[in-house]
Parts: sequence; structure tokens; C-alpha cells
Amino acid sequence: MAKLIQYREKCIGCGICEELQPEYWRMSMKDGKATLLHAANKKNILIRPIHQSDFETSTNVANACPVKIIQVR
Amino acid sequence: MGRKVELLAPAGSFECLQAAINAGADAVYFGVEQLNMRAKSVRSFVLADLEQISFLCKTHGLKCYITLNTVMYNHDIKLLQLILQAVKKHEIDAVIASDFAVINQCKLLNIPLHISTQANVSNIEAAAFFADSADLIVLARELTLSQVSDICKEIGRRQLKGLSGKPLKIEIFVHGALCMAVSGKCYLSLHAQNASANRGACTQECRHPYKVTDLETGRELVVDNEYIMSPKDLCTINILDQLVNSGASVFKIEGRSKGPDYVYAVTKCYREALDAVEAGTYSLEKVEQWMTELSAVYNRGFWEGYYLGNQLGAWTSKPGSVATEKKVYLGRGTKYYPKINVAEFLIETGSLKANDTLMITGAEIGAVKELVKTLTVNGVLAEKATKGDKITFKFPYKVSGKDRLYKLVANDG
Ligand code: SF4
Repeated sequence: MAKLIQYREKCIGCGICEELQPEYWRMSMKDGKATLLHAANKKNILIRPIHQSDFETSTNVANACPVKIIQVR
Repeated sequence: MGRKVELLAPAGSFECLQAAINAGADAVYFGVEQLNMRAKSVRSFVLADLEQISFLCKTHGLKCYITLNTVMYNHDIKLLQLILQAVKKHEIDAVIASDFAVINQCKLLNIPLHISTQANVSNIEAAAFFADSADLIVLARELTLSQVSDICKEIGRRQLKGLSGKPLKIEIFVHGALCMAVSGKCYLSLHAQNASANRGACTQECRHPYKVTDLETGRELVVDNEYIMSPKDLCTINILDQLVNSGASVFKIEGRSKGPDYVYAVTKCYREALDAVEAGTYSLEKVEQWMTELSAVYNRGFWEGYYLGNQLGAWTSKPGSVATEKKVYLGRGTKYYPKINVAEFLIETGSLKANDTLMITGAEIGAVKELVKTLTVNGVLAEKATKGDKITFKFPYKVSGKDRLYKLVANDG
């Protein structure tokens, strides 16, 4: 199954991921960074499986992230 | 005796901070976390660094200002408050901002405020408007010298005071990168790569070469300079005496994403130049010398910005820097012998010879140039050192394992 990965530390909080894919992303009111929802957190690297049908949107999100900290694998 | 003009240097990292201190800056500015215009830069500080930054600046008698000058969204407010609490606690001298949320919060928390160049203040009424909440205004970079001095004169005539009750101060940019957009309000990165420059993620689209194509015929128009959107860097060292007379009291050097060698060289030149203006010894020969030193570090070629009423026509002719020198990485520090002031470095790549000019950079030493006349390689005098060798030479600063060693070579493009 494909995975979505966010290297959260370098997030600059632009909000484009939440805009494009609200069901996966939420801007944190605590530190202003995006959080990948329902993800496992290993040392500030968030990982979660995604449905095949979300693959394309996720790839678009990864491309849109200005600091390139989102990956689809 | 206080200096007439405050020299404000960029500090994007502890190395740069130390370089600014060594070079004689009166104040430094820096950003933390993602709420600053250099958020994308690799050397960004985090909130926990505030204490150390404040401590270092106080110890060396420098003022320190924190930039909180991005566009702010709802989800940023909490982080903003956290940062401002830390600013208050560690007695950072002022916040540089343009967003009204930050302006308001600073007022509530009684934190001195500087209005950022992002606010594009270009006239006396705008300055007067902000005097209710700030102590200093950074003017728009697009003003001419006479516009700057008119604003300063009018502040004096009206006896405009800042929030603290002291006369309202004016800050101007004296050196560093310029941007084709008015006061940095640029959407090119957003259009081309969905990256928001106003959140500190500028992708420098304007620095690329472009071709103009006629879509109907497919014919490519020849543009005599491909870099049609990339202005040269601002450099005012040759008109610094005029800038001092304008009445602006803080002179800012741009470059929070530049390295310590840049910060050191540029700050040192402007320090010397400002001192020379004050002492009445500012001269053409000195300007030439400073220009040579400034050209050695990162630059896209120089012009005097808009101060002399020039059009934005001084476009750069090459990609990236036209610095006359570049630094080549050699290795890192391994030991220091304090009794005899000798430093040891391990060469990890490349090679060096006796009489090469080296540069050592590190958080505690900033950036220091050193001409090594006699080279000791693995304990014996030698002409050359290569990968794997340990070299030692006399060096007045304590060297640690994080310090890096470079060789300075001519940059032939
Ligand atoms: S797109 Fe990237 S930088 Fe922007 S909020 Fe999402 S993860 Fe952070």
C-alpha cells in the first residue's frame, strides 16, 4: 500500500496541503505547522498508509509543498 | 559616546552572529521557526535558541532584533504568542513586523516594535501612522535619497515620537540582495512553483534566465539580457556619506541566508566606512579598497539601488554570484593547543599548499581568514597537504570539531 510521509520539522505552515487535501491534513493551532492526520510519528516524521484512490491528490500535494517535505511512496 | 548611525547585520546562524560581532556590528537581526522571511533557509534558528542569542548579544554590547515578518494566518497566532512571550522573557530589544496581529500583540505585551520594510512605508503620513505603535520604521527600499531625507526632516520638524516617547527612528537598507517586487510583495514563486515567498519560501524565480516566445509564430525574441527580472545587489558604500546625512539612523545589511564569510566581510567594510565618515576620513581610495573586499564575497554585481534616482535597469548578467573569490571545503577542526595557540585540522577532501589563504568558520569564531605561510603536515614541515593529512598552524582562536576549514580561490565563473 502506498504511504504518505511528512518530515514535519521543516514545515513552514503555508497551509497548501490542508487546502488541497483536507481529509489528510490539519494546520495545528499549537505550532502553526501542518499535521498529517492519523499518522504514526517517529521522531517528527509522520507516516500513514493511503488509499490507492488518493494517490494522485497526494502526489499533487507533495509537489505543491514549497519546502518539499512531503513524499508519496 | 554613542555612534550616530547603528550598523545592523544579518544573523541567520550562530556562525553568522559571531561573524557580525567580530566585524563590529552595533546590532543584529534574526528569525526563528517558520514565521520569518527566510524560513526556507537551512540555517533557521528555533525558539530555544533565543536565550543564547540574547546572551551573546548582551555580552558583546549588541542590540538584537527578531523578524516576525511573514504573512500571518489564523493557525500561526498561537506560535506567535509563544515566540513573543520568549522575546519578552529573554529581553530581545525589538520585534520587526508588518502584520497587524504582530503589531497589536507587541503593543499589548509592551514589546518595542520596528515596522518592517514589508509594510512599504514610503511617505511621512504612513510613518506618522505607525508612530503610535512602533519606535522605528524600515523604509521601503524603492525610495530615493531625497525622499528618505525629506521623511527624516519632516519627522524632526513635527517632532514625531515613537511609542517609547523617544524620537521616531528611520532605518534603510545599505547593502545586499534586491528584489524585483515592490517591498518583497512577490507572487512569482507562487505562480511558478506554488511556493509562497511571503511565507519565506521564495524560490528565486526572478534569478533565472528567461526567453520571450511569440506564441502565435513560435518565434523567440532576442532579449539582450536574459536575466530580465534579476536586479543586481544594492551597494551604497560609495555614497555612504550621503546616506549618513539623510538622517536615517539605522543602516541595514541584507543576508540572513548568507554564510559567515559574507556577514563578516560586508559588516567589516561598512563598519570601517561609517567610522571613516564620522571621523572625516572617508575617501575615494578607501571606497575602492572596500569595493574590492565586497566583490570577493557573494554578490550579483552592484548598483546603488534607487537612492540616486536610477531606474531599475541594473540587471545582473550571470546566474548566481559574481564574487571574485570562492571557498572550497577542505576539512574540519580536530584539536586545539591553547598554550602554543596552534590549531589542528583534518583534511577530508582536496588539497592545500603553503601560502594558501584559508578560511575557518564556526559558531564561536564566525569566519576568519588566515594566510598560512608555514604548513606542518602530520607533524613535519611540508609544502602540500592532501586528503587524510592532519595539518597544524598557529591560530589565535580556539578550534572545535564543528569548525570548518576552507581554501579561498579565485572565482573564474
Ligand atoms: S505544504 Fe508543506 S510547508 Fe506547507 S503546510 Fe503543508 S507540509 Fe507545511
